[in-house]
Amino acid sequence: MLRFIGKRLLASIPVLWGVTTLVFLAIHLLPGDPAELMLAESGGSAESIAYLRTQLGLDDPLYVQYGRFLLNTLRGDLGRSIFTNRPVLQTILEQLPSTIELALAAMLMAVVLGTGLGILAALNHNSWLDNICMAIAVAGVSVPIFWSGLLLILLFSSTLHWLPATGQGGLRHLLMPAAVLGFASSGTIARLVRSGLLEVLQKEYITTARAKGLSERLIFYRHALKNALIPVITVVGLQFGFLLGGAVVTETVFSRQGIGRLIVDAILWKDFPLVQGGVLLAAVTYTLVNLLVDISYAFADPRIRHDEL
Amino acid sequence: MKFVKSLDLVAMTLILILAAIACGPPSPTPTAVSAPAGKASPTAGGPALEGGKLIYGLTLTPSGIDPHVNASSELGIPLTSVYDTLVWQDLDGEFVPGLAKSWEVSDDGLTYTFHLRDDVVFHDGTPFNAQAVKFNLDRIADPATKSQKAVFMLGPYRSTEIVDDYTVKVHFKEPYAPFLDSLSQVYLGMASPTAVEKWGADYQLHQVGTGPFMMKEYIPKDHLTLVRNPNYNWAPTIFNHQGPAYLEEIEFRFFVEPATRALALEGGEADVMGEIPPHDAERLAKDPAFTLVPVAIPGQSLQFFLNTEKPPTDDLRVRQAINYAADKEAIVKAIFKEYSPVAHGPLNAFTMGYDESVVGMYEYDPAKAKALLEEAGWVDSDGDGIREKDGQSLKLEAYLMGWGYVPEVAQLLQAQLRAVGIEMESQVVAYPAALEAARKGKHNLIPFGLSSSDPDILRTFFHSSNADSGFNWSKVRDPRLDELLESGARTLDPDRRKELYAEAQQLIMAEALILPIRDYVNLNAAGAKVKGLRYDLRGWFPWLYDVYLEE
Repeated sequence: MLRFIGKRLLASIPVLWGVTTLVFLAIHLLPGDPAELMLAESGGSAESIAYLRTQLGLDDPLYVQYGRFLLNTLRGDLGRSIFTNRPVLQTILEQLPSTIELALAAMLMAVVLGTGLGILAALNHNSWLDNICMAIAVAGVSVPIFWSGLLLILLFSSTLHWLPATGQGGLRHLLMPAAVLGFASSGTIARLVRSGLLEVLQKEYITTARAKGLSERLIFYRHALKNALIPVITVVGLQFGFLLGGAVVTETVFSRQGIGRLIVDAILWKDFPLVQGGVLLAAVTYTLVNLLVDISYAFADPRIRHDEL
Repeated sequence: MKFVKSLDLVAMTLILILAAIACGPPSPTPTAVSAPAGKASPTAGGPALEGGKLIYGLTLTPSGIDPHVNASSELGIPLTSVYDTLVWQDLDGEFVPGLAKSWEVSDDGLTYTFHLRDDVVFHDGTPFNAQAVKFNLDRIADPATKSQKAVFMLGPYRSTEIVDDYTVKVHFKEPYAPFLDSLSQVYLGMASPTAVEKWGADYQLHQVGTGPFMMKEYIPKDHLTLVRNPNYNWAPTIFNHQGPAYLEEIEFRFFVEPATRALALEGGEADVMGEIPPHDAERLAKDPAFTLVPVAIPGQSLQFFLNTEKPPTDDLRVRQAINYAADKEAIVKAIFKEYSPVAHGPLNAFTMGYDESVVGMYEYDPAKAKALLEEAGWVDSDGDGIREKDGQSLKLEAYLMGWGYVPEVAQLLQAQLRAVGIEMESQVVAYPAALEAARKGKHNLIPFGLSSSDPDILRTFFHSSNADSGFNWSKVRDPRLDELLESGARTLDPDRRKELYAEAQQLIMAEALILPIRDYVNLNAAGAKVKGLRYDLRGWFPWLYDVYLEE
């Protein structure tokens, strides 16, 4: 197992390098100039734009800027934000807990709701209940987050005054954003659980179990559900990327702090070091989550033993 | 499997970036423009009550909030209450004593002498004196500060000379008329030298001024809390009382998404909120639980720059035709409701130096627009409703930003232009991309509007030195206009300045360098218990010192 983890960690290095390089190129090739953006707010002259470009080191050729970025990153220095002049790492770490809190809460919602809907649908296959469950799942996948977010705010904050519309701190602030984001993610899980269960329930070992005279409840929980959940674990890992992406919109609608909003703002203002640092950290997180998912297979299914890979 | 995941990673990254681009820019502050508030507060109330906490909703999360370093208008909303300035500007535009008791300007306009108050201390106990003034102005001018706004507001600054503990002389390389205006703004506010040196790059999280409120805590993108300065005893005459402020505490929170602003106010999550969408403002105005506080913001009107270097807008008659074809009344009424005045020139009606003669230069007159186009050789020869000349159809390219209702304005404008035979193709692009397109001159039309209390703002947008890089998006290179704008910045006599800027504004409109749309009015709203809320002459910055809560 340790060898497997070591190999996977080594393999992630080229991935991270590729991502950072791609992002570096993308953000620099996209139109726009940070000095110009800064001065658009204050109405600076051509002279002042040139002055600011020099101060910020933006006049250097791209390969010099890339080399500087790569060397500093290897030394663990993600640089300073162009706009705030504060260390990138510190800026991101300040925002990270809020996003992790949101992503984990949303994940929990998604798994509970998705699995519940999936089971209900599979057990009542081809009935009206199945249709309703799947309609909810489709809604989850297709309703845009900003819309469902505003709708919830309208209902629970504006009309009923039960929950605060914005900000953070405590469960009350977390409930709506997590529900919106979790709902969006639950649809995929529900469909997967349903189809997995339906498939497993056709298997011969279920027939065998029935023949042995086991109760339906036991068959379902011990034999069917456990096997049907294995693909779900993979999807949960992949959904984590979706949650990070969805956090951008959720954080904006609910005026929450977070790394999603931080990176999007940084992209819009062409704050190069902050974008590069933020994406690098997101990539590291995503890689680690997927590693955890792979490791967890071993627990869910003893047939999968990573040492043999 | 691994390969697939790596691809996902790349895809996620790209999606994040693409999503961000598609989302459009965060309504950046360069909304701008127009008219000072009435002097009486629409939230006037009974006798002031002490204490209580006010929650104030900000509309964008500034990237940085050190006024000497950063440029955002949003930072000034909280920090105007943290910093005092050497001079203040009252709502009539007169400069009144602040941390400086009095001042004189030398005859050549190169030296300002300030006599400072000797009874002022910073929140951290550091005494305010001549050394502090020199420290602050030198900090702004120091290239290492990487100032994005303050350094340019300081203009041709040469140095500060300490005459004695409470007298300083500020020297300039050439006369600079906007100096007092700059000095009265938070960007040139006086910060504690001790705190600046102690905190370095983290100073913005621990700012220390001499103002009526002290910074308690700033969690970026979440909240900023100010508490009352119990020792405050040097309020300028622009305020209605003396001594410490009424409010115990002010918490600023961020409401980036316009649709949530009125909701947050109605849900009791904020007591004051800025930039309410016009249709929500209509609703709040009818509700006795709230007071609508519309504040006009001086500076540019919201205007489209017409590129004089790209056909077909290189032809004066086409630019004039656009101005005659646009029904601005209809646009403003439909989108901004009754809250915004129609704009007529490059400066809005309440900016110092605004020249009234631009009103009526282009009344809505589609017939005249058609005549001008015909005179320029544009006729609809194939009957498709769009005019042609030499086989080319009359097509304009507009680059739009996603903020400030610009896309909605463009949609109405498109129909109005089509009615006289002009086709306008518009694309909404990300803010950085819009700025780049404008710099490269890819546009026929591109909108902008920046707030400013001094007409010198015109130099940024119409001086030829800013045509290739910079914000002269009409790409106008007119020696007479350059001369007017340069002498405007150098001339200290207010009447002479007015004449120079009047001629500049007439010239800009005679050449139809822009299509003005509306004067900017910031729609603030407050809960009914909030009393005494007023905004400064720039319209953005609230005077929270006088505000109190009535239960």
